[in-house]
Amino acid sequence: MSDSPISVDSGEMSALRRAIPFFQKYGLYVFLVILLIVAFSVSPQFFSPRNIQNLLTDGAPLGMAALGQTFVILTGGLDLSVGSLMSTVAVIATSIKPDNIMILPIFLISICFGALVGFVNGWLVTKRKVSPFLATLATMIVLQGIRFAYTKGAPLSGDLPPGFRVLGTGTLLSIPVNLVVLAFLIFVFAILLYRSSYGRKLYLVGGNPRAAFLSGINSDLVIIAAYMICAILASIAGLFLVGYVGSVDNWVGRGYELDSIAAVMMGGASFKGGKGGIFGSIAGVIVLIVIYNLVLLLGLPIQAQLVVKGLVIILAASFYLTRSN
Amino acid sequence: MKATSIMKRFRIDPAIGIVSGLVLLLAIIGFFISDRFGTIQNLTNILENSVSLGLASLGQTLVILTGGIDLSIGGVINLASCLTSGMINGDSRLVVPVIVGVLLLGILIGFINGSLTVWLGVHPLIVTLGMSMVLQGVTLLYTLVPPGAMPLSFDFIAYGRILGVPFAPVVMILIFIIMGVFLRKTSLGRHVYAVGDNAEAARLSGIRQNWVVIFVYSACGFFAALTGIYLVSRMGIGDPRVGEYYMLSSITPVVVGGTILAGGKGGVTGTLIGVFLIILLRNLLNFMDITSFYQWIIEGLIIIIAVSFYVEKRKL
Repeated sequence: MSDSPISVDSGEMSALRRAIPFFQKYGLYVFLVILLIVAFSVSPQFFSPRNIQNLLTDGAPLGMAALGQTFVILTGGLDLSVGSLMSTVAVIATSIKPDNIMILPIFLISICFGALVGFVNGWLVTKRKVSPFLATLATMIVLQGIRFAYTKGAPLSGDLPPGFRVLGTGTLLSIPVNLVVLAFLIFVFAILLYRSSYGRKLYLVGGNPRAAFLSGINSDLVIIAAYMICAILASIAGLFLVGYVGSVDNWVGRGYELDSIAAVMMGGASFKGGKGGIFGSIAGVIVLIVIYNLVLLLGLPIQAQLVVKGLVIILAASFYLTRSN
Repeated sequence: MKATSIMKRFRIDPAIGIVSGLVLLLAIIGFFISDRFGTIQNLTNILENSVSLGLASLGQTLVILTGGIDLSIGGVINLASCLTSGMINGDSRLVVPVIVGVLLLGILIGFINGSLTVWLGVHPLIVTLGMSMVLQGVTLLYTLVPPGAMPLSFDFIAYGRILGVPFAPVVMILIFIIMGVFLRKTSLGRHVYAVGDNAEAARLSGIRQNWVVIFVYSACGFFAALTGIYLVSRMGIGDPRVGEYYMLSSITPVVVGGTILAGGKGGVTGTLIGVFLIILLRNLLNFMDITSFYQWIIEGLIIIIAVSFYVEKRKL
């Protein structure tokens, strides 16, 4: 029944039919362009080199977190422990001797810690069949407890190695250092996702678990690896965030778990898994930080950021998610 | 073996059996740990501490039964609490109209959540997360500090006694009983389960699935607003940050009580016992002088242990 009117005036409908997948695929990028035009028209300072630099420095940690979140969401899960892990890693960083020699060890310890947390998440999800929401919610709460038990709830007095400030806020040929690192990470993980057998398996496990099983893929291993990638990237993001902020409190990573999920979802991913990708997620991150910036440039009170951000997340998600399921 | 057959005979959900057993175990441990545990004062204290988490989790249960989730509960609580104390501002004549208004606002917010989920087809996690940010922003635009003041008599809601019986916990338990009967005995209540269990089958059997979903989110908004009002009474003033805790914590008792996130299975009884479990545990840990930091670790472990015992459909 519903098909017959389409065949009647096929010319017009087929144009529309072609337009819908286009918007589903590129809707976010269209949205981003519109947003940038709006940003420029309301505030010409938006495109000043200084503002762009600030904006990107500010957004790089979120970019790293969202990059990792993409892998987990591709498996059909999600990771709520990202923000808590970022804070915990930041606390670890300040509790070690503030000397530049220690930067590499701090990174190694944090990455190992992240890998462990990711492994626990992945293990719970695959071997214990706990739903990802609950497994990562539980790790989030446990990490929070460990962190507070360690710091006794007090703001930290420990200092960071001075090199962290350079990583978090410095520039290299007027390009923010953390952005360079983010670009490198995107490059590496894009190769992993789009050019390796692991990436292919990840899409198959997320999109069609049955087919993945029948073709002999060890789904559990693929999923555990995704959670570990997410947690490791979150640890790195936490270190760059603490370098950017310069001081640590116990909540420094708060909100990053939900922001990163929102960015990935806006980038075209689906909670059913198997959909979305790195570049969509990064576009989602850019939308979020442009909105933040825009609210500031408009001179609106800082609380308005939250209102605008909430509305845009819903809007952007519905913009191209026109009942595709 | 025997325990399971008894549970089967009385048609008790195994999850409820496990959680009730844990509550009982904690209570027994409590009597050994401290003489003061068993006093009327402490038991009343446990009951009163359960009210806000209970009300918030009740709404969350309804939403989760349909397979959704509501992350905006914390935002609604913040806004409701600030509006209540800010608008009443010590004037006892305004108490009733403001409370009615705030409850209606809660329903409206839930209605918007449900409508966006249904009509736009956006995942409820995203819709309610966005809504939570909007509400937090609006609340902070309205006030940055605890606003207004409350008439003294308003603390009856939280601390009132009728013939020595604490008023609020009794009302909360009554609400749970009403909702339990509603879910079991009314057609709308059954439809909540049907939508969560198999949305497609529910649609084919003529259930107006969209309206059921909108209904549960509206109810959830209502209970969140009620939680906000209760917290104003308990603390004597509204607070723009008081609800943050409930955003994710309202989910814990629901899943610990055996309601599965995929929807269609579970109920409010499990949630109520789950609330008691968490509050009782906190009470015990306080008696043992264990700070809230370790309590978080234990709360997280409880979620893991509880849900890895229950069978979950793999979905989110």
